[in-house]
Amino acid sequence: MPPSQLKRLKASLREQGLVGPQQSKKQRKLNAQNGGNKDKRVGKKVALDGIREQFNPFEFKLSGKAPKFEVTTNKVKSNPSVRRPGVAKAMAEERLTKAYEMDMQRRKKVGGIVDKRFGENDPSMAPEEKMLERFALENQRHHKHSAFDLEDDEMPGELTHMGQSLSLDGPPLVDDFDETDLELSDAEDHPSDEERQARKRRRSQGLEGGEEEEDDEQRPERKKSKQEVMSELIAKSKMHKYERQAAKDDDEDLREELDKEMPDIHALLRDMGSKPAPISAPEVVGMNPERAALLNGTDKIKFDKEYDLRLRQMAQDARSKPTERSKTEDAKIEQESRKLKQLEAKRLRRMEGNLESSDEDDVANDENVDEDVEEDDFSLGSGIKARPSMAELGVEDEDDFLLDDNLIASGSDLEEMSDENDSEQDDSDREAEAEFDKDDDFLKGLLTEEEAKRPEFLTGANAPISEPELPVKNGVGGNLAYTFECPRSHEHLLKITKGVALVDLPTVVQRIRALYHPKLNSDNKKKLRDFTLSLVDHIPYLANQPVQPLFSVLETLIRHIHSLAKIYPLEIANSFRAHLEELNEYRSLSPNPGDLVVLTAIGTIFPTSDHFHQVVTPAVLSMGRYLALKIPQTLSDFATGAYLVTLCLSYQSFSKRYAPELINFIENTLCTLAPKKLAKLPGSFPYHEPKVSVRIEASPKATRRLALYDCAPQEFSEKDEEALKDAILNTNIALLEAAVDRWVAKPSFTEIFEPGLKILQHLSSKNCRPKLSSVNQKSIVKLTQKLTTLLQTAHLNRRPLTLHHHRPLAIKTSIPKFEETFNPDKHYDVDRERAEAAKLRKEYKQEKKGAMRELRKDAAVAARESLREKRERDAAYEKKYKRLVAEIQGEEGKEQKAYEREKEWRKKGRK
Amino acid sequence: MPGAVAPAGNSAKRKRISSEKKPIKRARSESSESGEEDGQAQILLLENEIFESKKNYNNITTLFEICTRDNEDPDDSVVAAISLCRVFARLLISGELSAKSGMSDKEIVVVRWLKERYSEYKQFLLGLLVGEDTSATALTLCMRLLKIEGDNLRNAGEYNFPSRFLGGIVWMLLRPESDADARTAFTQNFVEEYDDIRFYTLEAIKNILQDEENLNPNEMINNVLDMLVGIESVPESHEELEDFYVEPPKKKSNVVFSLLQHKKRAQGAWLATMGLEMDKEHRKTILRIMADSIAPWFNQSELLMDFLSDSYDAGGSMSLLALSGIFYLIQEKNLDYPAFYRKLYSLLDPEILHSKHRSRFFRLLDTFLGSTHLPAVLVASFIKRLARLTLHAPPSGIVAVVPWIYNLLKKHPTCTFMIHREARTAEEKEMLQKEGMDDPFMMDEEDPMETKAIQSSLWELVTLQSHYHPNVATLAKIISEQFTKHAYNIEDFLDHSYGSMLGSELSKEVKKIPVVEYEIPKKIFMKQADAGVEDSLLVKLWDFN
Repeated sequence: MPPSQLKRLKASLREQGLVGPQQSKKQRKLNAQNGGNKDKRVGKKVALDGIREQFNPFEFKLSGKAPKFEVTTNKVKSNPSVRRPGVAKAMAEERLTKAYEMDMQRRKKVGGIVDKRFGENDPSMAPEEKMLERFALENQRHHKHSAFDLEDDEMPGELTHMGQSLSLDGPPLVDDFDETDLELSDAEDHPSDEERQARKRRRSQGLEGGEEEEDDEQRPERKKSKQEVMSELIAKSKMHKYERQAAKDDDEDLREELDKEMPDIHALLRDMGSKPAPISAPEVVGMNPERAALLNGTDKIKFDKEYDLRLRQMAQDARSKPTERSKTEDAKIEQESRKLKQLEAKRLRRMEGNLESSDEDDVANDENVDEDVEEDDFSLGSGIKARPSMAELGVEDEDDFLLDDNLIASGSDLEEMSDENDSEQDDSDREAEAEFDKDDDFLKGLLTEEEAKRPEFLTGANAPISEPELPVKNGVGGNLAYTFECPRSHEHLLKITKGVALVDLPTVVQRIRALYHPKLNSDNKKKLRDFTLSLVDHIPYLANQPVQPLFSVLETLIRHIHSLAKIYPLEIANSFRAHLEELNEYRSLSPNPGDLVVLTAIGTIFPTSDHFHQVVTPAVLSMGRYLALKIPQTLSDFATGAYLVTLCLSYQSFSKRYAPELINFIENTLCTLAPKKLAKLPGSFPYHEPKVSVRIEASPKATRRLALYDCAPQEFSEKDEEALKDAILNTNIALLEAAVDRWVAKPSFTEIFEPGLKILQHLSSKNCRPKLSSVNQKSIVKLTQKLTTLLQTAHLNRRPLTLHHHRPLAIKTSIPKFEETFNPDKHYDVDRERAEAAKLRKEYKQEKKGAMRELRKDAAVAARESLREKRERDAAYEKKYKRLVAEIQGEEGKEQKAYEREKEWRKKGRK
Repeated sequence: MPGAVAPAGNSAKRKRISSEKKPIKRARSESSESGEEDGQAQILLLENEIFESKKNYNNITTLFEICTRDNEDPDDSVVAAISLCRVFARLLISGELSAKSGMSDKEIVVVRWLKERYSEYKQFLLGLLVGEDTSATALTLCMRLLKIEGDNLRNAGEYNFPSRFLGGIVWMLLRPESDADARTAFTQNFVEEYDDIRFYTLEAIKNILQDEENLNPNEMINNVLDMLVGIESVPESHEELEDFYVEPPKKKSNVVFSLLQHKKRAQGAWLATMGLEMDKEHRKTILRIMADSIAPWFNQSELLMDFLSDSYDAGGSMSLLALSGIFYLIQEKNLDYPAFYRKLYSLLDPEILHSKHRSRFFRLLDTFLGSTHLPAVLVASFIKRLARLTLHAPPSGIVAVVPWIYNLLKKHPTCTFMIHREARTAEEKEMLQKEGMDDPFMMDEEDPMETKAIQSSLWELVTLQSHYHPNVATLAKIISEQFTKHAYNIEDFLDHSYGSMLGSELSKEVKKIPVVEYEIPKKIFMKQADAGVEDSLLVKLWDFN
């Protein structure tokens, strides 16, 4: 345990010899004689100071770090490791006090505006100098070029550094290390203030001699150069201005000349050689003096009119186009085939789930592919999720899909998309135009010979019609009109075609299409679009009529819609989707013939092989819904199902996708129609026994094919019923065969078709065989053979699955766990952003701390000073008060005394 | 003695009357005709006379006659019934209906006579319960009398719940011809609210169902279920037994305070119900609420076992529903179900993916197969069988199965042989080359340990990668991609249907311009004119002329 503070003090005092045993008189005398006393007094003071410092632990601060290396600098450091916070603090205090005093002094005296005009507060500058300097500065500010642009031929002034010329004959360059601005600015903690001042003094002394001389020499020199520069600058700018003016004048002259020749050129261009001179004269629109004269003339109105006319003519002038090179027959064929190939390739891409891209270059394609893959993945999330609870899924479960999508598709991608859309839009417009052209061919093909001859059906012709010769045969009644209003809605269409025989409908459509060809009028495009939509509504309407429509007519209508769909893809797709929605909403399990025809139309108009298609996908889904959910009870249900299965299979004729509902339905139908029930159901399709048995009882004599109108629910006679059963069986066997063809390459072909084979075997067993018609018997045998062979092949081709030939996943690398030379002060964050954020946060924290401390100090100083001032004021007041009181008292005392004296004196006097 | 009792009775009477003014008023306002007014005024007069003197007790008979009279005015009989209720209530409260020691023979005769009238009146009220118009009023009157009787008719202050009376009420309500509204009101307002009513009702149900005299308990099943299903809140501790309709006994050891006894009554009632013959719908109703509302009542859950395993063995959707009950027993009561997985496996029939209980089943299946300690052979059988079933499943079913299979494969890495198996030896390769292979999986095998599924491959899922629905196809592809995801949340894939899928597809706006087939077919419905071109499938199979 160290000795107490007091003991230590005593000990150190004793050590210094400041206290001790009293000296004898003799010794003291001796000391005085030697003059040692005086020395001692000085020494005593130093020693006391030393002790005082030593005993104040807050006077010094030893910095934790000793200097690591010996560094040679100009800074002379006495003891860098010792700091005196007390001293520094006192100095800072003083500075603050001073600043406060300054503030107080300036308070209510100086405004907030600081005059920063050049040289305002410099009494050494003459008024002219000030003006010059200000002017130069002003010019510099307005000068657009950089002050350091070496290419600029007009030098605003010589290069300077810190306001000093950089010429070599200037003052000797000072070492960069000696620059004052390199010194630390935080003086409060810095121990060597005095030193710095000393050094400053030293440096200025060293420079003093030369510098002052130079200053004297340079000042006139510099002044002069500036003036020179100014004058030069002014002169130069004047010259440039003049040159520009001259060039402009020249141009003007030239243009005027050309303007004069303008009407001639006009005449040449437009083959109107003979133009009366007076009219051509006002044509001159240049800066001609003639023009002014003309404008003032009497024929001003005429002139204006003429001018307008000309302008319009110019605007309407067809620009010359490069003519297309006429191609040889071969070239045409080649081009055609190339185009087909391209389209086919696009289809394949779409089938694989890569959307078609409108532009051909590969880079864009690749981008598209990526984008589409992501989109697909994402739509898996949102597509299936229809219920609200599923909405969360997109976020929760499909995170990797979503993350990919969102991280990449931020902002820029969107723009890209919209750009793409735009370009697509353009493209589609262009394509649409091309389609119009192609349409003509189509229309021509559709038009009858006579009609084709008629000028009104020839597109683009607006020549007057001369004596239309009526075709020999015109419609059924021979009185079919030639012009129709363009139907804008389905009701409208019905009204227009009211008196028209059904057979003539295609002719009417042709005529309407020809009459309102978009090339004839700008409105026609809209009209034709509405007409197309009404046609789409018309198909199911026709099919739903109680009288069976002619399928040839329907076919032509669908083909018309198809050709129009190339022009209005979006509208038609939406219209079909609306039909699907209606079907889905109101009669998903009892579609009427109209719906069946619409589904057929969708299958031909849109590419059914696409991985995803806005119209086809819902259409297939609705068909699947019927096939899966409908428990067929009547023969018409079976017929409807068979029709939908046919449609589904023809949808998949190219892409050969698998649809479980189809095989379920076919197998279920075969089982329910079979004359005898199967003892054990093969396979795992859901089997539904209808309430009323529909088993085949007897074979009809003649086999017929199914017709669309078997799908409508109706009553059959017994004979018809048997015929229908037979037809359904026949169709289903054919469908099974088609399905076998479609899915022969599927890896689980065996599992899919083995039950089918068993059912077929059951049908050809002796229980059932006699009741089937000969046609069916034959087809069953044929199919059985085919299926057996195919199943054998499938057996031979079957291999165990090897799906995971992936490269093993690399372990994710993250922040290195171990650091060779770890320093806790350093940050080893690999995440740049996070590290930067942390740095910024720390900086902000420190800044805030510093600012707070500063403010607190300021406030403390202000408070202390104001307190001091108040005390002073109070003290002064007190003093004054006391003085006044004393004065009064003094006076009073004096008066008292005088009074007393007077009294005494009077007393005495009386006595 | 009567004098001492009278003031108390009076005060009670006042309360009663004031509280009963309403129905009278209502009755009055309903009957606007003056003739009715007379009849009702007369009833009121009779009633007041009874209160005035004991001599007028004979008015009770008169009133009763008005009640029972099949007259043309039903209002009168209702009013009379109400006034009789008031009369008996007052008599009960004043203790006129109970014989006390020290009564003269005459008085005892009066009491006996009154008791007879009272039971007659009760019988009459019970009869009213069946009628559609009167049932609500009758129920209110019955329950009021029940309370008063329970509160007042005690033997020396001992707790005496009028369980016979309640039994009568329950019996009337359970009769096949009884009124559904009254039953609902009884269940909701009394059985569900008051613990003692529930207690004795459950007891009554059990007694009624097991009564020998009850000839056709099976016909009551509908109403019994109706009432029992309405009892939803199962008390969990003794503290919860605090709502009593009749003033509860002072002794805490009474049966109505015992949770065990409560449960015992409920158990008895349920067991009696389950013993009845019932059709599928009733069974399903019971199975649906089994885990939530029935099983907690049972002290001995084993008793449920028979019912559950019978249902489980029934097959089809019944088994699916029974599954959750069995699961409850296994989980909570440590029940051991032999060959559980075998049974579970047998539930994977062709209908399961088409069933409307699909999502319910999958949730349970996910729990059952959630353990990583199950033998891989067993898990493989489940995977393979479900994969097989997806070949005939709707898209919504496939969507539920595929991520589930993914999760299982992730949990049981041994099963991943089903998606990746390479022939190791040269002979094996040669064999494959020469003879191909059959699927070693045995679909018809019932024991999931013996199906050899683990030696098979999931060709079915690869087939589904070319499913017609784009989303299903994309989802099926997760099997052949790297298994980087930890697990899929099954819940997100369960609740789909054709409707929801179509709806989500059609509700999307078409933004991209749809592609149109570039080639316009020459013929759609008609035969090709050109012999060289083949007809489409549609034209070949269908007749459009």
